[in-house]
Amino acid sequence: MNLEINVKEASNQSNVILSGEIDAYTAPQLKETLLPLTKTEGQIVEVNLEHVNYMDSTGLGVFISALKSTKENGSQLKLVDLQTRVFRLFKITGLIDIMDIKAAIRGGSE
Amino acid sequence: MDAIKSDTENYKNLLKHYIETRDEQSLYGAEQISKSFIKRKIPPEEIINLHIQALRELYPDLSEELQISMNFLLESMIAYGLTHQEFQTLREKQLELKSEIGVAAGMQRTLLATTKPVIEGLDIGVVSVPAHQMNGDYHHFIKGKDGSLGVAVADVVGKGVPAALCMSMIKYSMDILPEEFMQPKAILENLNRVVERNVDPSMFITMFYAQYLPEENILRYSSAGHEPGFFYHKDRDCFEEIETKGLVLGVSADAVYNRYERRIEKGDMVILLTDGVTECRQGHRFIETEEVLDVIRSYSRLSAQEMVGHVYKYFERMQHFELRDDFTLIILRRNV
Amino acid sequence: MSLQSRVNIQKEWDIVGARQVGRDIAKKTGFGTVDQARIATAISELARNIYLYASSGQIYFEVIDNINQKGICMIAVDKGPGIDDISQAMEDGFTTSGGLGAGLPGVKRLMDVFDIKSEKGKGTEIKAIKWLR
Repeated sequence: MNLEINVKEASNQSNVILSGEIDAYTAPQLKETLLPLTKTEGQIVEVNLEHVNYMDSTGLGVFISALKSTKENGSQLKLVDLQTRVFRLFKITGLIDIMDIKAAIRGGSE
Repeated sequence: MDAIKSDTENYKNLLKHYIETRDEQSLYGAEQISKSFIKRKIPPEEIINLHIQALRELYPDLSEELQISMNFLLESMIAYGLTHQEFQTLREKQLELKSEIGVAAGMQRTLLATTKPVIEGLDIGVVSVPAHQMNGDYHHFIKGKDGSLGVAVADVVGKGVPAALCMSMIKYSMDILPEEFMQPKAILENLNRVVERNVDPSMFITMFYAQYLPEENILRYSSAGHEPGFFYHKDRDCFEEIETKGLVLGVSADAVYNRYERRIEKGDMVILLTDGVTECRQGHRFIETEEVLDVIRSYSRLSAQEMVGHVYKYFERMQHFELRDDFTLIILRRNV
Repeated sequence: MSLQSRVNIQKEWDIVGARQVGRDIAKKTGFGTVDQARIATAISELARNIYLYASSGQIYFEVIDNINQKGICMIAVDKGPGIDDISQAMEDGFTTSGGLGAGLPGVKRLMDVFDIKSEKGKGTEIKAIKWLR
């Protein structure tokens, strides 16, 4: 399974649209795209995970390093439209409390 | 040189015999000779040269075009020969690496070894199997001076060698903690600071730490973003997810962890695991949590150790004996 | 030592020219068909390296003929970017040309003596000898 990454750049917002699976094989690819976007001060990086049906802990690691980078560089990271299974991962690991995350289904666990 | 001479002779005779009789036996001979070439690392261009020599001796009037075409084939084989040799070297290197990792895995087993303690009234079962040679899961039992039992279950992001290295760090940090700090909340807060300082930004560890007090039959626990385990209530024959809050280790230096406490009744079980258990896949389908619990329930008449063993075997077989992730399952059951 | 020839490498065509010169010398020196093919392949790799990474350079051919040994010696010289990490370039499975080239480890396997000197930003000199048996 592959991961498709599309980036749409606006003036101070980058929209990253992901589709596929985030695992040990595809995570490095995501990291390469995502990290540089968080280096610009004031930049809002919004990642859409509507079409990500699987993510493992390596994927979480990428988002954690992106979050750390936003704190160092004064940018923002938002994750939107997470599927239940992926959302659960952020919930269990306690990351929903320190990240800006919105699940796909309204009235979800947030 | 003698070997090559006898090869030439052998090859020529086999070829001659085959041209005359076209029998299967000569072809079997060709197969044997080819295996001996491989064993002696003879490159393909050398074999083609052998063929050319044999042809020349058998048919001295061989047309020039045919001879030239054979030379052309020989030239075409040089790169193949080189690539083959390269693969050979890489294969040897791979074996070397594999045995090196094997040694490291042995060291890790010794380093992370933990013995299942005997606690009166508590039946303990544990299974931990790595997906590859080295284990990125970690579990540890500590019997305190006060008679309490400490149980740690942890999972580091990723698997294999990097995960295993990270685990060794956790083990050392736990070893140097003084006993009065062996409260779940304090342990996690301490480890979190160690991990946060020492790992790559994309690395993190999840851990569940529980302390069982046999005198009062109380379980105290805290979780750092770890895959939730379950309580099994004997009286109602039902499972309950262990709900906790807490950030994974290594993300934020000042993370604080909640303290939870629960009374364990007679016949009740505490099930601790890593996501290698709950993320089992059957083909492309993920198994549901219910399925894991049903399997555990189906073996609940056995001892805790037999239970975890059977549950592991069940999922190992379901995944066609190829684990995708490290698998750790611990069951504690209050007997009296 | 005798018979020195030099081939300039600038265009891909020059690789063929170098092979031809090398093969003629190898044949005259008395190498058999298999070794001729090996020598030609080694020359290809050396010339290709010059063509791809240094854009221009030379390959020198020399027949070595002393009391004990007879053979062919080739020296490839360029003033290209040089090789940063020679150990890595000599490692199997590491090909920067991103293809099926035998690369430098291939040349080493094909020849009996192989030596390489390189300095970053200054160039590379590779010496390879094949002995006649």
